Amino acid sequence: MSNNISPDHLEPVRQLARPVLPDNSPEMAALLAIWQPCDCKRKTVLTAAGETERHIYVVLEGIQRAFYLSETGREATIVFTYPYSFSGVADSFLTQTPSSVFFETLTASKFLRAGYAQLEELQQRFPLIRQWVLTLTAHALKGALQRQAELLCYSAEEKFRILLNRSPHLLQLIPHKYIASYLGLDPATFSKLLGSIRL
Amino acid sequence: MESAVLIDDLQAQVRRIIATATTLKQLLPVDLDKAPAPGAWSVAQILAHLNFYGDYYLPALEKALAQAPPAKKYFKPGWLGNYFTKLISPNAAGEVRGKMKSPAQARPSSFVKAVDTLPVFIGQQQWLLELLEEARTKDLGSVRVPISIAKMIRLKAGDTFRFLIGHQQRHLLQLTRTLHQLQLN
Repeated sequence: MSNNISPDHLEPVRQLARPVLPDNSPEMAALLAIWQPCDCKRKTVLTAAGETERHIYVVLEGIQRAFYLSETGREATIVFTYPYSFSGVADSFLTQTPSSVFFETLTASKFLRAGYAQLEELQQRFPLIRQWVLTLTAHALKGALQRQAELLCYSAEEKFRILLNRSPHLLQLIPHKYIASYLGLDPATFSKLLGSIRL
Repeated sequence: MESAVLIDDLQAQVRRIIATATTLKQLLPVDLDKAPAPGAWSVAQILAHLNFYGDYYLPALEKALAQAPPAKKYFKPGWLGNYFTKLISPNAAGEVRGKMKSPAQARPSSFVKAVDTLPVFIGQQQWLLELLEEARTKDLGSVRVPISIAKMIRLKAGDTFRFLIGHQQRHLLQLTRTLHQLQLN
């Protein structure tokens, strides 16, 4: 496949790698070489439950979510991603085992993405790149455990206020039914809370 | 059309179908076995019908891909492939071009149960996704698959994928309509 991305377009990857990989290092050059552009319409399912995640994504445009469909009839939004974060199903990607969630675009989206085999090959060649992946994984784990605690400890209203303080822009970007599902609230409770804020 | 773009599109369609099928697990199996009207197919029957074609086309596609030479950048659909795909698929507005009659051997028994047909259906869709992934490395224009109702008609592997998935989309509309008639969605 041709890799005709201009260096400017890879800047988001460079920014995400900079904390660990020095600019102008062979590691940075090798890492930048494995990304391909990927554009999708809204509501495109990029990874289905049961499928193994093949790519790691960096979001350039648009909003995405991962959601879980339980057999008891509930749908839970696990995570939202937006520019310039990583995206895809992280646990399935890292373990190369089938995903338990669906990963879909909510709006038209642009990404850079790299394949598992290519990243794995770089990790074997460059200890610094393995270090970088480990750092990313550690931060993802930290985020997941923090959210776990919040879901277990806080009331509906507290969860809503935490979101409002931390990421108020999400309220404008994401349809509210998905935010409600992310917080584990039913849509009616969510709109009641939203109404109480506006008063 | 560019082969990679075609496969991306077909995989996205199959993944959406898997998501829809997975939400069916949230309903009561007994509801999925109900006919929405006398003589109309239940959800379990629609899935059995699709499984019937999956049983035929998935192994046939696997065999064809195993014999296919390496991928080409472009896939040129055959005229017959285009004709069949257009005939069977819903249009952009999500409407079908009038009714079609299924061949007798593809008509499911009214005794089939969703507890049996739904897991088989989801398993087949996962397989279909894998075959499409495999198809990225193969030339989809140079191997052909006989169609189930007339073995002398052979469509290019790329067209077989398009036709098979178009057929599924047609019945997914029927499925949504059936759930609506049963007031389940």
